[in-house]
Amino acid sequence: MSAASGSSSVRLPDFARTTTFRSTLIVAGAFFLCTVLLFGFVYWQTAVYMMDKNDALLSDELRVFAQNTPEQRLQEIDDRLRKDPERIKIAGLFDHDGHRVAGNIEILPTGLPLDIPSSAVVVRLDDHGRELQKVRIAAHVLPDGEILVIGRNIAEIVEIARIVLRALALGLLPAIVLAVAVGVVLSLRARNRLLEVNRRIQRIVAGDLRERLPTRKGNDPFDQLAAGVNLMLGEIEALVHEIAGVGNDIAHDLRTPLTRVRARLERGRARATTLDELRTVVDQSIGGLDQSLAVVTALLRIAEIEHNRRLEGFSQVQLAPLVREVGDLYEPIAEDKHVTLQVEAADEATVHGDRDLLFEAVANLVDNAVKFTPEGGRVTLALLHRDGESVIQVKDTGPGISEAEREAAVRRFYRSDKSRNTEGLGLGLSLVAAIVKLHGFRFTIAAGPGCTTEIAFPSH
Amino acid sequence: MPRLLLIEDDKETADEIRAELGDRGFDVSWAGDGIEGLAKARSGRADAMIIDRLLPGMDGLTIIETLRSEGIRTPVLVLSALGAVDERVRGLRSGGDDYLTKPFATVELVARIEALLRRPSESPDTVLRVGPLELDLIKRTAKRGERMIDLLPREFRLLEYMMRRKDQMLTRAMLLEEVWNYKFVPQTNLVDVHMGRLRHKVDEPNELPMITNVRGVGFILRAPA
Repeated sequence: MSAASGSSSVRLPDFARTTTFRSTLIVAGAFFLCTVLLFGFVYWQTAVYMMDKNDALLSDELRVFAQNTPEQRLQEIDDRLRKDPERIKIAGLFDHDGHRVAGNIEILPTGLPLDIPSSAVVVRLDDHGRELQKVRIAAHVLPDGEILVIGRNIAEIVEIARIVLRALALGLLPAIVLAVAVGVVLSLRARNRLLEVNRRIQRIVAGDLRERLPTRKGNDPFDQLAAGVNLMLGEIEALVHEIAGVGNDIAHDLRTPLTRVRARLERGRARATTLDELRTVVDQSIGGLDQSLAVVTALLRIAEIEHNRRLEGFSQVQLAPLVREVGDLYEPIAEDKHVTLQVEAADEATVHGDRDLLFEAVANLVDNAVKFTPEGGRVTLALLHRDGESVIQVKDTGPGISEAEREAAVRRFYRSDKSRNTEGLGLGLSLVAAIVKLHGFRFTIAAGPGCTTEIAFPSH
Repeated sequence: MPRLLLIEDDKETADEIRAELGDRGFDVSWAGDGIEGLAKARSGRADAMIIDRLLPGMDGLTIIETLRSEGIRTPVLVLSALGAVDERVRGLRSGGDDYLTKPFATVELVARIEALLRRPSESPDTVLRVGPLELDLIKRTAKRGERMIDLLPREFRLLEYMMRRKDQMLTRAMLLEEVWNYKFVPQTNLVDVHMGRLRHKVDEPNELPMITNVRGVGFILRAPA
């Protein structure tokens, strides 16, 4: 416990480890760097501009002074220094030994280049006493050997640097603080959302398939993602329920024949007195087992069709010959049952599909219709053209399928209660549904009288 | 006595098959895995082979492919728990001659083995004959003795298939697969109904029956004794 709390104290707070927060920091850092560069550039340009202007002024003044007579010169120097309340002007006249003749510079700085302004530190002398000043200064040797020096204090340029820095600090610090604050808020929000999503995912993993991810009214990418995941969860939930239902149906439909087999065997063992009697019982039992196996086979067949996503077996299939062939196949069966089977195949449509599967689908529809139509009834197998699409329609005069049962009929493993007594596995229609779905065609079971099933082939 | 090689990894299934085929007069040798099976198959002593699709060591289809590439043409019946149509097609493509899905009725297995051992007559004759029965493939006519038999096209096809395999047990599944090219098991007794029609036409009440229905197994066409 103590170890855990000890380690967590050196860890960054949770929000600081989110992607959002890190991105914010990176952006803030880049912003900081850009601003500093910008301000530096502004300062640099200003300083260069002022220095140039200053130097030009100095050169002009120096020329004017140099052209004056010595008397005028002394007067001018005096004037210049008097009219300088800001104490930025510097002037001095030195004899050729370097002794001060006039002006407010105590000592002639050594090593000054002539006639070109340069930077130097001088001692200023005036009513306020002596003061060290950083100046731009230019010297000129007069015809009489005296040295004239003119300068200006450049403390104001330094002042500008200070102003720029202050502006920088005033502008930048709040921006940085704001950026970090926004980063914290955003990352906390993202983190909370993530925590919520994680909590719900945990619940889904734990088996609660009704759970969904949180969505807000907004349409941000996160919401879109959550909506997509929710759609997927809905589909999965439906599938899982379907599978569970199918499992129950399988168990039921397998248990019925198996129970019958068991009872038969038990009775046969107890009652059979001759080998022939025993054989009869065994034959019946084998029949029951075959029925159970047929259920499994049919189920596997449906699974095979449903999982068959490959369309490579597809080709152009002519519907009319297919319909006639199915009719030909079932005609004797119908006749034996005294059911009229009428085949109409006038439409010359071709569709893109797997011929064997389509044949199987149509055969199943006819098989069902013939099986469930009572003696003296009629089954019609027709290839029609309706509303711009081809339709294979199978109509019978049997008991029909009630509306409530229609949807259930296409599920795997369903057999209408009315047909429980008729031989058959109830998988026919689900098989047809699976085949039709694979092709992207449409399968409908329409209201009676009797039962009408249709496979529609959209013409696109 | 025809010799068969059975390559099947489940011993219990293998024992059942051997016992049943032994009773029917076959001499069956057995291999329990793919490697041993391939070795025995190469020795070439078998007249026909029954090979399980999924085997330890080596897949059944690989064995068949290997044998075929080595020029060994012994007929093979592929046995499989994989019932999908695709699997069947794969089994036949890799060189198998027939494909039977587990679980199967023993009679079905026997009928198919016998069919493999007696390949159908692919005689170039345009007239097939079995006893008094005559089928003219060019004129599309059939007659029994002097009596003309009026056949529908589907009945003609069925009779041709049976005459090429006279004296052979033909199961419902074999007929569905071969005559109707059916890839699935229909829910109704299609074969029986169609066969009933044909029998009615071939065997008139005063004639000796040529088409026999062996209950629970299938049908045989024979010349009347």
